[in-house]
Amino acid sequence: MNNIHDMGGMEGFGKIKRQKNEALFKHRWEALVFAASRLVNPGNIDEKRYTRETMPTDEYLNSSYYGLWLYSMEKMCIKYGLITEEELENPDGKLTQVSGYKAVKAKEVESRFQRGRTSGSHVDVPARFNVGDSIVVKNEHPRGHTRHPQYIRGRKGRVERDYGVFQFPDRSAHGLEPKPQHCYSVRFKATELWGSRSNPNDLVFLDLFDDYLEESLQFIPKK
Amino acid sequence: MVKEKISRRGFLATGPAVAAGSAISAQEIKPHIHGTPPSGIDLRVRSLISVLTKKKLIDPKALDKVIQFFETKVGPHYGAQVVAQAWLDTSFKERLLEDANEALQDFGLPGVGSVHLVAIANSAKVHNVVVCTLCSCYPWSLLGLPPTWYKDSAYRSRVVIDPRGVLEEFGLDLKEDVEVRVWDSTAELRYIVIPERPKGTDGMSEEELISLITRDSMVGVEKLKPFNSEIEA
Repeated sequence: MNNIHDMGGMEGFGKIKRQKNEALFKHRWEALVFAASRLVNPGNIDEKRYTRETMPTDEYLNSSYYGLWLYSMEKMCIKYGLITEEELENPDGKLTQVSGYKAVKAKEVESRFQRGRTSGSHVDVPARFNVGDSIVVKNEHPRGHTRHPQYIRGRKGRVERDYGVFQFPDRSAHGLEPKPQHCYSVRFKATELWGSRSNPNDLVFLDLFDDYLEESLQFIPKK
Repeated sequence: MVKEKISRRGFLATGPAVAAGSAISAQEIKPHIHGTPPSGIDLRVRSLISVLTKKKLIDPKALDKVIQFFETKVGPHYGAQVVAQAWLDTSFKERLLEDANEALQDFGLPGVGSVHLVAIANSAKVHNVVVCTLCSCYPWSLLGLPPTWYKDSAYRSRVVIDPRGVLEEFGLDLKEDVEVRVWDSTAELRYIVIPERPKGTDGMSEEELISLITRDSMVGVEKLKPFNSEIEA
């Protein structure tokens, strides 16, 4: 879905604002949202990203980073039946207990951070492209979740590296039948993306799935 | 094997990485009796946590444990260890660039965020910088949680179209003939930049090197300055 989260290439957001000795969390609520999301975490990462991407544009722009997390956490907890909208509106009212769910205890917390998140797949899927192949990014504008930004659609690049097989986010975000496939590092010349304003030496690399790419008949020289 | 050559606290105390200690008191989330009323977002969070707690889906003590874990056990000191080792050990650096997951499997990195890591090296001719234009993907296990500027729209939107302009705002003056490479983390791979080893650091120990390595240099928005012992002394 084309929305403001896909902001690569816009220039109206002003200068970079940095803060010295910034606290990890600026407000207690940010820390709580973050921590809660590590403990009650229904849905997969792609579903959560998609939830944030469907947020109304003006609301997205008015939200801080953890504001976006709060939004997707509320939505996901509701979607997966852990809480209801009525309960959120009236937390002191009647609450329906959820069965078959055990809260993570304080002493179990550290063991939750032994292994990070993986979306790698051991399914043996053939790669459609080889390192060095010239490609064109499909000019597709999916209605759902996707990880190929607008600024590269229709642009020519070259496969630099094959990272192996991963789950395909465009499917997993919507609970569709999985379609694990190769994910590549694809190299674009900055001038191909942004025209003559770019330094001809500069390059942009993106990690792109097989299904986003098609073969380019135009040879792109190595350097 | 868990490598704990330098603790996070030690790293923050000695190194120039931005401190990330929390300045939050437990008071902030409690009902405000005096002063300004809580903001809308405070109320929403309070409501969510309250419902999850009452429904026994969350243990409030576990919340504090998670916060504590991310404030004390996760951070850029892991990335700095990796960089220092890469500077000192050429064969490790080669393995790291070839396959970071393989090279780091015994490093004892915290299990947070995506596990798929990629290292990219700066040189006199190539400068790398990392972004996530679509959300705010960041190598948590190596660098901790991202700083606000990394998550802000200005950085996410501009660094792909105007990397030299953005890097100039960070104080970098890159020559025309340097190749700038922007890495937009659009899938589950997470990138760490191996900055160039600063001049004047020959013969330094791993610990000394670690103390010079900044978080921003591992995102690619900073170049480490030559080390001058006279200034330091």
